[in-house]
Amino acid sequence: MHIDAFQTLADPTRRRIVEALLHGEQQVGELVAVAGVHQSGVSRHLRILLEAGFVTSRADAQRRYYALRPEPFRELDAWLAPYRRLWESRLDRFGAALEQRRRARRPPTRSKRT
Amino acid sequence: MSTSTPSTPSRIVIERTYRATLDEVWELWTTKDGFESWWGPEGFRVEVHAIEARLGGALHYDMIAATPEMIAAMAAMGRPASHPARATFTELRRHERLAITSVIDFLPGVTPYESTIAVDLAASGDTVRMTVTLDPMHDEELTKRSVMGFTSQLAKLDRRFGAAST
Repeated sequence: MHIDAFQTLADPTRRRIVEALLHGEQQVGELVAVAGVHQSGVSRHLRILLEAGFVTSRADAQRRYYALRPEPFRELDAWLAPYRRLWESRLDRFGAALEQRRRARRPPTRSKRT
Repeated sequence: MSTSTPSTPSRIVIERTYRATLDEVWELWTTKDGFESWWGPEGFRVEVHAIEARLGGALHYDMIAATPEMIAAMAAMGRPASHPARATFTELRRHERLAITSVIDFLPGVTPYESTIAVDLAASGDTVRMTVTLDPMHDEELTKRSVMGFTSQLAKLDRRFGAAST
């Protein structure tokens, strides 16, 4: 499941399409401009994104609009959560190491007597 | 818990603010003592052999299982308790920004690839804001976990990445 999501996003053209759709729904023609490939290529990538559940489409008269679906992103986010925690705890250690060095360098100043 | 969706789905950005000077924060990334004092996942320590804080400079270290539990866990998986890591400073602007690029070349059957961590620093008053940008899709740590069996699928995924081109 997660593997599929990463696999889907492993392609740079599909990532460009996804990033373009972050701004809202678009038609194929608009996506061609940002994707850097021909319309047939964009249609193929959109089909893959549709099948993977990243994108949904709706027809309005003769036009077809594509938009992102939040589900796979939530899934990716959940998958990344342990990784983020790993780095959060690493940066906790960074902070602790920083604090320790500061203390070692500047012994606490004794309260002044006047 | 924050649940914000990153603008690029594959990238993680973590920001921290520390009460410190730029010099102190910089030292933790660019000196042997500093780097050894915090780097490495829980249960591991690192021993730095080379840390050349200049553009293209080497960062070579051993990642060593440090707790009895981790040593036992590595042994149980048939992995050595220590393994060498080789990285390069691919960006370096003193007190501003640095990037460390590691070569992931220890996976059998997987085309070697690079993994980069970027760090941005900004001082404000007596604090420093540190922004760490990570790409988990090509991350050494995550790949290691996959080798260790946490996510055995990931190695296959990397193989696909190696072959992926459209």
